[in-house]
Amino acid sequence: MMRGFKEVGWVAAVAGTALGCYMVNLKVASERASLEDVENRIVLAQRDIRVLQTEIGTRGRLEQLESWNVKVLALSAPQASQFLEGGFQLATLTAPKKTVDPAAPVVLASAPAPAPSTPPAMAREEQGQTARDLMQVASLKRELPEPTVQKTVDKPRLAEQKPVKATAKAATPSPKPEAKRPAAPTTARQKVAAAATPAKQSSKTATTKKPATTSPPKDSKARQ
Amino acid sequence: MNAPTPALVARPERLRLVGQRRQFLAVMHQRLMVGMLVFALIVGAIVLRLTYLGLFGDHAGRQVGPSALLPERGDIVDREGHPLARTIDSWTVALQPSKVIGDKLALARELARLMPERDAAGWLAEIRSKKSFIYLRRRAAPRLVQALNALGEPGIALSREPDRLYPQTDLAAHVLGFTDIDGHGAAGMERAFDEYLSDPARRGEPLTLSINSRVQQALEHELIEAQTKFNAIGAAGVLLDIHTGEVLAMTSLPQLNPNVAGNMNPEARFNRATLGVFELGSTFKPFTVAMALDSGTVKSMGQMYPCYDRLPLPGGRVITDTHPFGRPCSVSEIMMESSNIGTAQIAAQVGGERQRDFLKKMGFLNKVEVELPERGRALTIPVGRWNAATTMTVGFGHSIAVTPLHLAVGYATLFNGGLYRPATLLKVDARHKVAPGRRVFSEETSYKMRALLRLVVTKGTGKKADAIGYRVGGKTGTAEKVIGGGYSKTVNITSFAGVFPMEEPRYAMVVMLDEPKGTSETYGFRTAGWNSAPTFGKVVARIAPMLGMRPDMKRDASLGEVLPFIREEK
Repeated sequence: MMRGFKEVGWVAAVAGTALGCYMVNLKVASERASLEDVENRIVLAQRDIRVLQTEIGTRGRLEQLESWNVKVLALSAPQASQFLEGGFQLATLTAPKKTVDPAAPVVLASAPAPAPSTPPAMAREEQGQTARDLMQVASLKRELPEPTVQKTVDKPRLAEQKPVKATAKAATPSPKPEAKRPAAPTTARQKVAAAATPAKQSSKTATTKKPATTSPPKDSKARQ
Repeated sequence: MNAPTPALVARPERLRLVGQRRQFLAVMHQRLMVGMLVFALIVGAIVLRLTYLGLFGDHAGRQVGPSALLPERGDIVDREGHPLARTIDSWTVALQPSKVIGDKLALARELARLMPERDAAGWLAEIRSKKSFIYLRRRAAPRLVQALNALGEPGIALSREPDRLYPQTDLAAHVLGFTDIDGHGAAGMERAFDEYLSDPARRGEPLTLSINSRVQQALEHELIEAQTKFNAIGAAGVLLDIHTGEVLAMTSLPQLNPNVAGNMNPEARFNRATLGVFELGSTFKPFTVAMALDSGTVKSMGQMYPCYDRLPLPGGRVITDTHPFGRPCSVSEIMMESSNIGTAQIAAQVGGERQRDFLKKMGFLNKVEVELPERGRALTIPVGRWNAATTMTVGFGHSIAVTPLHLAVGYATLFNGGLYRPATLLKVDARHKVAPGRRVFSEETSYKMRALLRLVVTKGTGKKADAIGYRVGGKTGTAEKVIGGGYSKTVNITSFAGVFPMEEPRYAMVVMLDEPKGTSETYGFRTAGWNSAPTFGKVVARIAPMLGMRPDMKRDASLGEVLPFIREEK
């Protein structure tokens, strides 16, 4: 009995092993097939990419770009003077252009009219004519109380220095909106905006004078 | 129990029968055994085969797909890897009249609507013809293919076939060339490297040219502008790296679209830069001066020559100057004002034999050396008829016709330290090494010539070529075109050959305009200083930054060797 089963056992073992091997083999083959499939898809995708690249390259060919640049965008190649030496030179281009004297006192658009009567006078004494001039430029008010005081004290000096001032002013790019120019230093770009805003502001200040006078301390701190 | 055994009592016939049967059985066994063996062998073979297939073979579901991305024909790319020529699959639409099953008239009407090159009657004639296969459209647009497919006519065959496409269309067309209908190179690099591009072992690797697309585009654009502005019939431009001989840009106008090369006229297919030979005039003068410097006949830039109003040549011909000095002048002045009289005398001092020797070493007496099949042979007077007058006229660029590429290679030789290297259209890298140079001029001569050519641009005839910040040096050249065997007084070929940056030359460029006309801007002048020189300047200002040069107003070539010999005119 045992001897007979032994043989059956052997057969079963061999058959089982063979089947196992075959299963492994099948598994490997299927894996290999899917790998090949992926590889095929990669190649097909590469081919598609190539076709698309060619299409994009053809549509965006240099000649086409050039014609857009020249005819539509009106661009031209940079000239020698447009090349910069480095970051420093670039930074100098973006530095704000000083349109007013930095020594001038900061005057707030929302400041109450009678309050700054004494400090500007002091500043004027220190700075001479410059500060006074700037006061006129910066403050958007016509009814400053100082001029009367000033005229009596400073007139001889003012008369002497004014011609010099005028020439210096003429050199600045836009002497027109003198009376409306803000006191704080502005960049060249802001200048354009500044030229446009004062008109609005003046009308605003006329209508909303009262609320402006109610909260000056907060603003002055922030500006300083 | 002593009864006899049956065998012993059996009759002899029966015994015989038993014997036969046994024998028969034995044979049967034998046959069965053989049959079994055969069967076992077959089964064994099948099992072995199955095992083999199981282990190493392919599975049943395997698709035969593209195993690698190998184009039908190799790509051509520029030095930065941008494709200039590619092979893609394009749609081809054909008609097989015998297979048409639908209404032929309706089909003809549809075809006439989709492809209006023929009317319905024409298409109907085609459909009814006995031909087996008619191409409706090769390289058909997808929209047309879709529309034809929608007709549902089995007589219309749609297929894909490899097609050569030049994505940049006109860009560097004369360098690339084009292919014929069978996909073989018919001109340009396509023809020169046809074998390489179609070799299955190598075509996977693109052919890398020395061309820089962006620079090429800039050169082409500026030349087209100049051609339009000055109403020239053609133009050519070549830009060389003087140290390697690589051609970074090369163009010839009128433009050629290699995608439809067959439809272009022969004038557009003609490569003026390498095949056309022209008498390029005064651009030759620097060579004459360099020859004289090198052979010692000119010892200083201040050497004086009598430059009066006219100079009779040995043969009886008389030469004149456009800007006559009317006094003795120095070599520097001769160069600056492009004096024919002065240069002819310098050439005469060098002598014919030495001059020819130099020309030969610079490759000016042979076909220009480059990979392209379209190469022009320089035209000049044969040695037997080369006389003193020839030496003098060749000295200022007459009696010798070369290609613009010849001239560019000559300038490269003159300014790279004096070594001749053939021009190459393949990128110089590990696989394609720089060609060994051949000494033509001494380094000292090469160095001295810098000041002279910079002088021409700062103070002389080439002022308009001065691209600010890039230190251009060069020479204008205006030659009268030979028409009907004689020099025309009204038709010119103008050129400007130069190098930049002059204090450390790196690039040589030649710009040539064929038959430019005078405009109001040039006050009616047709000379090189008014058309080729400004074009050269514009091109340099555009391409120099692309080549990695930055403009520098503070640097310049030293003019110390030439400036003392210029008389300041009041």
